[in-house]
Amino acid sequence: MRVGKLRDLWSRVRRSVRDEPRDQDFVTEMEDHVGLLAERYRRQGMTAKDAELAARRQFGNTVLLEEDHRAMLTIRTIDEMRGDLILATRMLRKNPGFAAAAVLTLALAIGANTAIFSLCNAVLFRRLPYTDPDRIVLLWETMNKGTRITVAPANFVDWRNASQSFSEMAAVNPSSGFTLWSQDEPLRLSGAGVSANFFSVLGIRFALGRGFLPEEDLPENSRVAILSHRVWQERFGADAGVAGKTIRLNDGMYTIVGVLPPDFQFATNPADFEARSQNDIWVPLALDLGKLKRGTHPLRVVARLKPGVELHQAQAELNVLGANLARAYPSDNKEKGIAAVPIAEQVTENVRVALQALLSAVGLVLLIACANVANLLLSRAAARQREMAVRVALGASGRRLAQQLLTESMLLAALGAVTGFGLAFAAIRFVTPLLPAELSRAAGIAVDARMLVFTAAISVVTGVLFGLGPLLGIKRVNPGESLKQTNRVVSGGQSVLRSALTVSQIVIATILLIGAGLMAKSFWTLIHVPAGFRTQNIVTARLSLPKSRYPDNRRIAAFERQVLDTLRARPGIQSAGFATYLPLSGSDNGWAFFIEGQPPLPVGVFHFAKYRPASEGYFETLGIPLLRGRLFTPADVADSPWVVVINDSMARRYWGSKNPVGERLRFGGPTWRTVIGVVGDVRHEGLDGEPRAEMYMPVDQAANLEAGPTIVVRTGLDATASAAVVREAISTIDRHFPVDRIETMDQWLSRSVAPPRFRTMLLMAFSILALLMASIGIYGVMNYLVIQRTREFGIRLSLGATRGDLLRFVIGRAAVLIGLGTCLGLGGSIVLARLIEKLLFRTAPLDGWTFAAVPLVLASVALFASYLPARKATRVDPMVALRYE
Amino acid sequence: MSKGKGGANTKSEILQGTLDLMILKTLQAMGSLHGFGIARRLEQVSEDVLRLNEGTVYTSLLRLQQKGWIEAKWGASENNRKAKFYSITRRGLRQLVKETESWERISGVIGRVLRLGVRTP
Repeated sequence: MRVGKLRDLWSRVRRSVRDEPRDQDFVTEMEDHVGLLAERYRRQGMTAKDAELAARRQFGNTVLLEEDHRAMLTIRTIDEMRGDLILATRMLRKNPGFAAAAVLTLALAIGANTAIFSLCNAVLFRRLPYTDPDRIVLLWETMNKGTRITVAPANFVDWRNASQSFSEMAAVNPSSGFTLWSQDEPLRLSGAGVSANFFSVLGIRFALGRGFLPEEDLPENSRVAILSHRVWQERFGADAGVAGKTIRLNDGMYTIVGVLPPDFQFATNPADFEARSQNDIWVPLALDLGKLKRGTHPLRVVARLKPGVELHQAQAELNVLGANLARAYPSDNKEKGIAAVPIAEQVTENVRVALQALLSAVGLVLLIACANVANLLLSRAAARQREMAVRVALGASGRRLAQQLLTESMLLAALGAVTGFGLAFAAIRFVTPLLPAELSRAAGIAVDARMLVFTAAISVVTGVLFGLGPLLGIKRVNPGESLKQTNRVVSGGQSVLRSALTVSQIVIATILLIGAGLMAKSFWTLIHVPAGFRTQNIVTARLSLPKSRYPDNRRIAAFERQVLDTLRARPGIQSAGFATYLPLSGSDNGWAFFIEGQPPLPVGVFHFAKYRPASEGYFETLGIPLLRGRLFTPADVADSPWVVVINDSMARRYWGSKNPVGERLRFGGPTWRTVIGVVGDVRHEGLDGEPRAEMYMPVDQAANLEAGPTIVVRTGLDATASAAVVREAISTIDRHFPVDRIETMDQWLSRSVAPPRFRTMLLMAFSILALLMASIGIYGVMNYLVIQRTREFGIRLSLGATRGDLLRFVIGRAAVLIGLGTCLGLGGSIVLARLIEKLLFRTAPLDGWTFAAVPLVLASVALFASYLPARKATRVDPMVALRYE
Repeated sequence: MSKGKGGANTKSEILQGTLDLMILKTLQAMGSLHGFGIARRLEQVSEDVLRLNEGTVYTSLLRLQQKGWIEAKWGASENNRKAKFYSITRRGLRQLVKETESWERISGVIGRVLRLGVRTP
């Protein structure tokens, strides 16, 4: 019975969907029946015609019967929908221009939305690849202004011992680079030292082997390593027996204990959360608990909240803990606190505002597209008033007409969605490689269910939105009136609706253009900020020096001098130098210092400046200007008097108007260093950063060198040729030398402005799209007005109006709409611009230049769009217009 | 589905639902029949008292088929034309017994009620 019902339902659905207007068997059956009846009447003596009539009368209305029959065999709603769909398809096919315009408009808008949504989906909404990622937080030390900084090892150990809110806490020291030796070939890999429980805090399932054991986190047992999936595949041929094997890392032998899963990612800031810059080697952090420091801050700390503990409870505990530590160690921890930040929030922090702005922008573009299509549909509805009237006259209910119109809108929306989805897919393919690093999680963009649902949902919403326009018109259909009238007459209500749509399009376009204008101005301002150094024709390469052969700064400095001498002898090389922390590269360090002759500072207060070991030749190569004194020379070595070069900011901050050259300062140690020169400021952190106080010292007089040196070379050659020269010069000095990341300074610069460039370009593209759509909108409305009034214009012309009068009339009408829309749009922008304030660099949200230029541009484009139909109005031939119809 | 139009003639409207029962009974009594045959049989039995749009027979036949009480087969009619023949199924027979009982019970009750009405002026 149940099976029978299912089969029946299925057969009904099938029949509903199939395009089979009549059941031929049933028609034959009925016709036969009528035929037999008629035959009987004929035999009774009736004429053929009367017999036929009598038979039909006796049989009843076959059309109604057929409808009943069909209704019994199908599901009514589906059946009606099918009919509507066929009709809608036919309608579109008959009006290919209209269909193409509508579908293209929708496809562009829906495609843009889908693309941006998929970005958000990949970057903001996707779960990080950990167990219960919502419970994982990053812990930071905070300065008195709330700035988050990395953590001192001693503080980390105190937190771990004292806190009750976390089930586990682990530290990461990401700065260690590794040289992996395979068949005597050195390979430079990035790596990190982590607490033994780091992987269990994140909840990782290893692809192979295991994580670190607690006893491996002790300095004496720490020669074990975990490989990234990538290195395992590329360097170890995905050897399933790799666990337990020994490898040579830097200068020691390490035993491989595990391999991470392929989707493993970890970083504490978005820029590093990038598949291509992930660490390849993980070793135990192995803090020496006897020698913990509180003054250096190398660590990032990750922790898992205990079950049942809320973030705010953990934060409350940390506040107390932070205050205790500040009291206990005032010299290092004064005015410092602790902040817990959920890892997902930390990773997406910088991009969230930008992506939200972009998502709103494409949403607005979609609204404009809806308004445009609604306008198109309204014009068509006007042309179809007769058709509607005929349908009403034939008995169609308002509901059926609405259903029919809505089906047409939905069909358009669906076509737009399918095309748009294709466009989005292509766009993602094309754009993903160009994405800035902080959007790099987007590399994982994939068509997933959420994206499909999103596209489907917005297409339904758009279908309903723009379908509403013509629906409002239905109520006015009065068959008697409409059938008597001609096609060209439309009710006044409709043109009000159309004008309102146009005005709102202009409002939205204005808002988007203002947003894009602000972003563009901000970006323009940004890239014109002087970086403080030359970026053209500079090639940089990071070197990593094995500790065994380069155990101290003296050896490193000697090596650098040798490289510089070799390089400078090569043709095409104009100058060369070494830096430890290259501007824009993201690596940085700072030190506290004391000035000779100054009274001691209160406890916990320091003079602080960025710390930059550099070789002679560095300033000349990067074109950093010397303002006072002298630069380093080859004579500034470990045994000569110790010297520093400071930058302008440092000079002004600590010496004011006094000449600092000749003054002395020292770091923690006893040796005094003499200030020998003052150089120009450099924007080390990026063009949007402020110049900091910086001090440079010769490499062999530096306190310590954590990072491998970076060579900078100014050359007349192209980048590839210079890279070859650098490699060749270095290999003549040390054959076993990995040179990685050869990049031009221009690349560093371009990468540092990639995020604002990306969002500015997208927003500009969207606002131009919006402007085009709004212009098409106003063109459509004006064009319609002219067609509608052709006759009136003819009369006016024959009564003595000049063509100029007509032009002014049409343009005037357009100008009212444009003016109204622009004013409302400017009003809206004043409110909305504040939302993107965070994304603007040295640009006020109410930037006068933008607020003046945008209405001008918009008005000119829109007026031009309305000029085309206006000109048509002036070409009306009065005789033709009057004769027409 | 039957939409008999009320008129001034003396023919009776068919009660909703009773057409199904009559067709079922006809098929049980006569065996396999086509639609035209069923209509003739009903005409004959009702002695022209019932007013019937013969087309509604087909609606009824479809309904009975959907309930699984009758089945249809294509065959040749007396004058050798292709026609659809309907016959009652086993389930249809059982249903017929049930419906007949219930009809007799109800018509009995209605009859009694109507006779009651005659006695009290």
